[in-house]
Amino acid sequence: MKKKLDLKDRGRHLLVIMVIVCIGLMLGALTAPQMVAPVRSAAGYVVTPFQNGINSVGSWLAKQLSGFRDVKKLNEENETLKKEIDELSQKNNELVQNQSELARLEELYQIDKKYSSYPKLAAEVISKEPGNWYNRFVVNRGTKDGIKVDMNVLGQGGLVGIVTNVGENWAEVRAIIDDESNISAMAANTSEPCVVTGNLLLMDSGKIDFGGLKDSDNQVTEGTSIVTSNISDKYLTGLLIGYVSEISLDSNNLTKSGTLIPAANFRNLREVLIITELKATKEDES
Amino acid sequence: MKRKLVIVLMAWLLFLLQSTVFGRMEFLAAKPNLMLILTVAIGFMQGKSEGLLTGFLCGLMIDLFYGGLLGFNALLYLLAGYFSGRFSQIYFDEDVKIPLILTALTDIALNFVVYVAAFLLRGRVSFFGYFRGVILPEAVSTMLFTIILYRLFYKINHSLLEKEKKGKQSLWIKG
Repeated sequence: MKKKLDLKDRGRHLLVIMVIVCIGLMLGALTAPQMVAPVRSAAGYVVTPFQNGINSVGSWLAKQLSGFRDVKKLNEENETLKKEIDELSQKNNELVQNQSELARLEELYQIDKKYSSYPKLAAEVISKEPGNWYNRFVVNRGTKDGIKVDMNVLGQGGLVGIVTNVGENWAEVRAIIDDESNISAMAANTSEPCVVTGNLLLMDSGKIDFGGLKDSDNQVTEGTSIVTSNISDKYLTGLLIGYVSEISLDSNNLTKSGTLIPAANFRNLREVLIITELKATKEDES
Repeated sequence: MKRKLVIVLMAWLLFLLQSTVFGRMEFLAAKPNLMLILTVAIGFMQGKSEGLLTGFLCGLMIDLFYGGLLGFNALLYLLAGYFSGRFSQIYFDEDVKIPLILTALTDIALNFVVYVAAFLLRGRVSFFGYFRGVILPEAVSTMLFTIILYRLFYKINHSLLEKEKKGKQSLWIKG
């Protein structure tokens, strides 16, 4: 009887101790966030190599499966591809000509740098946030590749997110569809500023919110592209976020809000491009 | 000792699975909370102390590898482990019913706290939207995986316990 009582107490004591430990951790993380970063960075070594491995096993399997295709089919494909190469090389010649013309014209009009000119680094998505509340993911590049917090991340088509945490060999990216994401943006045609926010409840329909847009001339309509604003302090200017899907006048009769469809595809996010240039450093230089 | 190592290993493995493979399973409406299943199972099978330590470990992993406030998830999972440990007295066999109810309850409670702390406080007031969109789907898929995984956890734990007992007995005989 006495032994059982002791055992019960032990559980309770342990509970109290561990709760205090947790609260201590939270307070520590709040007051000294710089202490947490190295721990996280080191902890990455326990997990990231394996997540990398699981993903490469997955892609290896996919490759093996596709390797079983008919040889005959491949031969046919080869023939058609050869023809295509001829056509494409001809087309390419034309395009190269156009390109030089474009460069000349761009220079002429002093068009702003497009994002083709930003230095970029390809990274692979190796894991996603384990719960269902957030939309964050981890890529296999970190401080040793020169990744820093607040670097912008692009996917196929447009802006995907921003680096929020970084370790030696990994970086955590918060997607623009995450509920906590807030981007200072603007309409591409009018340059009027607005705010783009993720919304968990809209996530399934593949949309995100935007609001606070001044548009007295009704120039912003469905399909207008929304890009990152020049006044944003974290996002580089002119990155495509998405296209307006619905827009309506707010009850204050001044601003408009609605939803937009992100340009980047979030369904099958495998590879992303990290722009290895921070907005602040760019301003510092100029 | 060996059994405890196995629990740590399982928590680590489940974390890896949940952050890679389960993130890609589109047919699941929501990702199941595998770490919580382990926490509740260990708590229910082994009592409060082990339950809360397992919960602490699982929560700490989530905190470490996925941003947020360090210690927040650790605290929540710890409480879930302790809570399910309270029911370990009525533990008979590999019956899955009680752990099933426990995982559902703790999962909903845990997500409710996350909602209040991370969403309600930012002015996202439509609780029922989030309940239908996130909390309920996760509870359902977590329950589904409890049915699959609990028996596995039970067998692993049981066989290791047997070994531990045998080891102790032989040691006692020798002594």
